[in-house]
Amino acid sequence: MSWKLTKIRETFSRIWHTLAFRLTAAYACAGLLLVFLATFSLYLVLVSELNKSTELFLKDKLNVLRTMLRERPDDSDGLREEVELESAARRYEQFYICLLDQNHQQILITPGMTKELNLAALSALSNGRNDVAFPMTGIHGRAFRVITTKANFGNAANRVVTIQVAVNVSQKEELLARFRLWFWLTSAGMLVLFPLAGYQIARQGIRPVEEIATTARRITSSHLNERIAAEGYPYELASLALTFNNMLDGLEDSFERISRFSADIAHDLRTPVNNIRGEAEVALARARTIDEYRDALESSLEEAVRLSDLISNLLFLARTESPLTHLRLEKVDVAELLDGVREYYDASAVEAGVTLTSVAGHEPITAELDRTLIQRAVGNLVSNAVAHTIEGGTVAITTRLQAASVVIEVTDTGVGIPPEALPRVFDRFFRVDPSRSAASGGTGLGLSIVQGIMLLHGGNVNITSKPGVGTQVTLRVPASKNAAKALVKD
Amino acid sequence: MRILVIEDEAKTAKFLKKGLGESGFVVDVATDGMDGLELAKSVDFDLIILDIMLPGLDGWQVLTGLRQAGSNTQVLFLTARDAIEERVRGFELGADDYLVKPFAFSELLARVRSRLRRTQARPQNVVRMADLEIDLLRQRATRCGQRLELTSKEFLLLSLLARRAGEVLSRTVIAEAVWDMNFDSDTNVVDVSVRRLRSKVDDPFAMKLIHTVRGSGYVLEAD
Repeated sequence: MSWKLTKIRETFSRIWHTLAFRLTAAYACAGLLLVFLATFSLYLVLVSELNKSTELFLKDKLNVLRTMLRERPDDSDGLREEVELESAARRYEQFYICLLDQNHQQILITPGMTKELNLAALSALSNGRNDVAFPMTGIHGRAFRVITTKANFGNAANRVVTIQVAVNVSQKEELLARFRLWFWLTSAGMLVLFPLAGYQIARQGIRPVEEIATTARRITSSHLNERIAAEGYPYELASLALTFNNMLDGLEDSFERISRFSADIAHDLRTPVNNIRGEAEVALARARTIDEYRDALESSLEEAVRLSDLISNLLFLARTESPLTHLRLEKVDVAELLDGVREYYDASAVEAGVTLTSVAGHEPITAELDRTLIQRAVGNLVSNAVAHTIEGGTVAITTRLQAASVVIEVTDTGVGIPPEALPRVFDRFFRVDPSRSAASGGTGLGLSIVQGIMLLHGGNVNITSKPGVGTQVTLRVPASKNAAKALVKD
Repeated sequence: MRILVIEDEAKTAKFLKKGLGESGFVVDVATDGMDGLELAKSVDFDLIILDIMLPGLDGWQVLTGLRQAGSNTQVLFLTARDAIEERVRGFELGADDYLVKPFAFSELLARVRSRLRRTQARPQNVVRMADLEIDLLRQRATRCGQRLELTSKEFLLLSLLARRAGEVLSRTVIAEAVWDMNFDSDTNVVDVSVRRLRSKVDDPFAMKLIHTVRGSGYVLEAD
């Protein structure tokens, strides 16, 4: 028995935790409550209006009779007509009047009143309730409302007549009863209809969410191209779907970069290892001259150097991404640093027939930087610039202070970068010209390393280029630690 | 000069022993931390090359034990991890120098020589190699009495090669010493500079002094 109970409880808990159920329940409860309140208040108004109209009717009758008794005590015909005939003529809301003298003897009575009402009980009930209507049940079970009052007969203060007026309100009671019946029927209907309608509305509202969930379930690393078709969604859900799609775009892009990176790294690591292995195998396959052995060893050494350079570059890049990496910040004269880099590349520039200049502003620029890393970043840029500038061109290294940042720009008049390649130049192993091998075009890590160094310094790097006109790379680093903090806060 | 190599990787130990031995050093090898520390305490070495990742005692413990025993022997440590914290820790424990694996053997040899030379350094004002004469004070170089027109960086490069004649200098060492560039990428810049230096120092003369050692670097020597 107990496992059955647990199961029921679990099922209920599962249903209770669905959004559709909660929304349906909320819609149904709210709808039912509103209909109930509206109908109930209508009923109350109806009851009170009906009572009021009966009361007015009774008071009106009393008033007429009281006036007749006082003003025309001798007009017994008029009185009789009022009491006996008028009532008898009515089919609906029949009323009965009984006039009693001081000794409780009937003076006049509407015919049939004794058949409908127990007069003794009426008198007993009305005792002490002058001018106030009260309910009473007739002999045949019909509902009546009764009012009694005392009235003077003519001007004689000593002749007081008791007027008793009873009106049959059973039709009104029946009306109310029918109303109540309809009320309950309607409520019962709503009890069924509201949950159904509510469920329908809830389903309609939740459907996009379910579709988003279905799409999300279909997405795996190999199916990142799935997108949610948000047409026709309500605004809120469309924006959710859009956010979701944007996230997927970002993910797909990152995944692509990572898989490209893995493929590139595999290629760039395998090539030198393959060369070493093959060369050694071939060299050992038969007896060779000393020179041949030397050549094989030298070639292997070159490949090993290439491999260890690649490894140290990759490790360096990995470290730039670690938040634990510490910079060795020191006060650096930026112009002097750039001059050093210029001197280093001078020979290469002269060989390539390229004019290499470094220009600083008039004021000395000092900043808290990691000297070696900035040298490396600027060096990579100058190396790229010299390599991609044809004879007769120029490469200029400039620096200036801008707000709390040091700006270093390397501008060349080189071949430029095609616009479609520009967004990817900072990707690892990306080479604008894929046919350039490692031997002629470096590792493809240079700009990634520049970007890593800028990130470590809390700065950034920007590149603009026009094919055939030239390329400009802008490095921006905070001039001091405090400036870096201020930049981060922004 | 006697050197102790504490290294558990057999191939590394082998080429260190062979290379250093051929460079004129007496080399002992210990393959774990315990043996290494015992050996270092009992024999008076001029230099110890110490690997960090070792079985038994690791490099840090060996270094600590050695310094606690009151030894002042110079220690050059080798590490495959190049985190700055690691280097700082090594120096705090009393190491004298470090190298990150993979390293160029020529670089290690240069470091070893400079550590051991430091104790017996004597400044020279004029360096001679065959018909090449370099006056370090007056910043002048001549071959066969003929003045060589060199830029200041070319002069620095030539005097570096001359002062450490016979020693293979890696491109990294050259870039650091001549241009104060401390990163190892893009060292073909050094090749260009050496080529330009050669055109002034070697090309006009029959005897070549600057030699390329493939995969390693450059050396100045008379054949």
